[in-house]
Amino acid sequence: MTAATPGLSVATGRTEVGTGTGALLRFLLRRDRVKLPAWTASIGAFALYYAVALPAIFGTEGDLSSVAPIATGPVGALFGGPGYGYDELTIERFMVGQYGLYFLLTAALMSILLVVRHTRAEEQQGRAELLGATVVGAAAPLGATLILAVITNAAVVVVVAAVLVVNGYAVAGSAVFAVGIGAAGLTFAGVAAVAAQVTSTSRSAAGLAGAALGVAFVVRAVGDLIGENGSLLSWLSPLAWSQQTRAFVDERWWPLGLSLLVFGVLAAVALRTVTRRDLGAALLGTRPGPAHAAPGLRSAVALSARLQRPAIIGWAVPIGLGGLMYGGITRTIDDSFADMPEEMLAVMGGGEDLLRGYLGTMGFFTALLVCVFALLAVHAARGEEAAGRVEVVLATPTSRVGWLGGHLAVAGLGSVVMLVVGGLTLGVGAAIVTDDPALVWELTVAHLVHLPAVLAITAVGVALFGLAPRALGLAWVVVVHAGIMGFFGPLMDLPGWVEGLSPLEHSPRMPLAPFTATPLLVLSAVGAALVAVGLRAFAARDLRGR
Amino acid sequence: MTTAILTAGLVKSFGRTRALDGLDLEVAAGEVHGFLGPNGAGKTTTLRILLGLLRADAGRVELLGGDPWTDAVALHRRLAYVPGDVELWPNLTGGETIDLLGRLQGGLDRRRRDELCERFRLDPTPKCRTYSKGNRQKVALIAALAGDAELLLLDEPTAGLDPLMEAVFQDCIRERAIDGLTVLLSSHILAQVEALADRISIVRHGRIVETGALAELRHLARTTIVADTDVPSAGLERLPGVHHLDVDGTHVRFEVDRDRLAAAMQHLTDAGVRAITAHPPTLEQMLLRHYGDELTGPDAVAVEGADDDPPTVDHPGR
Repeated sequence: MTAATPGLSVATGRTEVGTGTGALLRFLLRRDRVKLPAWTASIGAFALYYAVALPAIFGTEGDLSSVAPIATGPVGALFGGPGYGYDELTIERFMVGQYGLYFLLTAALMSILLVVRHTRAEEQQGRAELLGATVVGAAAPLGATLILAVITNAAVVVVVAAVLVVNGYAVAGSAVFAVGIGAAGLTFAGVAAVAAQVTSTSRSAAGLAGAALGVAFVVRAVGDLIGENGSLLSWLSPLAWSQQTRAFVDERWWPLGLSLLVFGVLAAVALRTVTRRDLGAALLGTRPGPAHAAPGLRSAVALSARLQRPAIIGWAVPIGLGGLMYGGITRTIDDSFADMPEEMLAVMGGGEDLLRGYLGTMGFFTALLVCVFALLAVHAARGEEAAGRVEVVLATPTSRVGWLGGHLAVAGLGSVVMLVVGGLTLGVGAAIVTDDPALVWELTVAHLVHLPAVLAITAVGVALFGLAPRALGLAWVVVVHAGIMGFFGPLMDLPGWVEGLSPLEHSPRMPLAPFTATPLLVLSAVGAALVAVGLRAFAARDLRGR
Repeated sequence: MTTAILTAGLVKSFGRTRALDGLDLEVAAGEVHGFLGPNGAGKTTTLRILLGLLRADAGRVELLGGDPWTDAVALHRRLAYVPGDVELWPNLTGGETIDLLGRLQGGLDRRRRDELCERFRLDPTPKCRTYSKGNRQKVALIAALAGDAELLLLDEPTAGLDPLMEAVFQDCIRERAIDGLTVLLSSHILAQVEALADRISIVRHGRIVETGALAELRHLARTTIVADTDVPSAGLERLPGVHHLDVDGTHVRFEVDRDRLAAAMQHLTDAGVRAITAHPPTLEQMLLRHYGDELTGPDAVAVEGADDDPPTVDHPGR
């Protein structure tokens, strides 16, 4: 199959740049035959969950009005969207207004990973070279990848629309909402296609596109906060276009035209670049580095610090910015949450001191993020082992315990840094708007108090790394459980021990709750014991590849 | 002469595959020992056990007088290792990696390090992610050679290097061998082993099938004779100890066992020998004697241990 994709024969002096697109597309479909259906099914399941769960929770429209304050308040604007039709809230409007954004983010993430996986990653691994030597045009791999992105996002649209309509959602609203998801996915497929031309590694390409997604999120969050139904600022974010369709209120399709236009422009730019540049080249090439190592790079711990430094900075900066932002809206939260239903307030520790309850919840949220960071650090250690890089280190006079212990110590230090940054920034933000400088100190302590729980959760991963390295992924169950318990536990009416299984439920939710030392000591002891088990098991086993 | 490496009855299985099946290896201190065999024979597994990265299921291992599993850290102060598949940290430069590995080993000679970079023509400034396999191997080699290790464990160290760099590598090993360095050189490049090794061990299916000095092994094996005679030399095929006889009129070619060489020569003299060349067996012939069946047999695949490529035998120019 040698059908050239229309529009690809840009004036580059190269002919047949689209040759082989069809064959490649079939090849990509085969390579992703599990991955893409899994993404699509997950997004569909996500839609099914809300379609079934929301009526179950709220039952009647009357109950729904009790949550209207959250939806219409600033938190709704920050984490939901412009909120159309909230004056007459329905389940559909609530679903789209509060949770629709997360469908957009998921589709965008799926598309970014899809595009980077099949373009820059292939080039970096050298597989693109193998293909490029066959009868395949320069634009064909990217062209096939973009077509694959269109197909995948179309599949998501169909599945989500079908799930919603089957569950009784209106057809017009379901259609415009579902197409909005696909449109957001495609826009970020375009962003990723350009990012893959700019950067020379798949990691930095995904990072750049991911950063663009983060900026899009923040721009529309602030935009939606400063004006009812969004403001001009919101419209600068591609995510907003899919939210401005007014699904289930009075639908309009034209904002999605912007998404498709931007996708088209970005795709054209990327295709034009790919036909003009050398294979493997990038706008931002890799610069040469130092010929000699810095004097400090002389131990396994120093190596771990060097390897984890970008991750620690990459997590601490958004946590800090988020802290300032969440701290800065403390006053507004305090006002707007006052007449929230009892059950919702329970999540934040009840209604008697909303301000400190809210700040404590934010501290929990930061602690949960730090758990994710720390567990990813354990995965990074496993990655060093699986890729064979640890071999050259362990062939030197570095013991297994020394190497893994050093790596974990760096991750632990990183966790402390993040908790302090999160506490300080949240405290500074809150102190400014509430005129209460004591909050800075209070919140720093309130964050650090979660450290033993973070240790205990991470230690589950360390123990698995030692005992059953290929089962390390199971440790995420603990993090997910802790997240669900922390955010929804009080609403779910579960037996106490189910909540008790989450280490984070045992650290006091300061500043509202008083400091208690005993649970922290127990958590530390459990964590230390699990880490010891993991270290011992790692020292006693064979190194294992993937 | 002391022993640097000694294994006896070494066994290691991965699931149902038996990578090592009673491997007995002995390397004397101060020698360059060639460890020969195709991919999948168990070379890498042996080296990983010697490094304490894997633990043997059964058998005895001794490295520099210690147990590589329990005394790993102490022993690693005295050795350096170059893996077959060198994986490096993508965002460190080659130079940073060399320094780091050298320092982890216990320090490296800065002058020798720079000199080795020069000799191997390695630019130490690019990030490791941009290096080819050959360049990654150079990084590991330079880090290993720039230190003061008394034992080098090298796992196919030049698989990605070009012939010029192969020559540099051989020079470097020879220079260090004079100082008494012990080297265990796992390889399937016969020319390299012939050029460097004092003694060799041939491994097959996780066992050593042949071990000794190259000269010694040659004595045990057959000599190849090519001769032209005045009259066709009939009756050679009846001589005991003559193999692979190929007669083309007055031109003959055959292999003969060492202890039957005199009788064969007599036979050729009787036929009026005009030209004769006799050469000792090449390493390739010796290896093929152990692996010949695999190369021709219908099931010419032996998947074993950590390296899972089908066996191939490299014989450049021999």
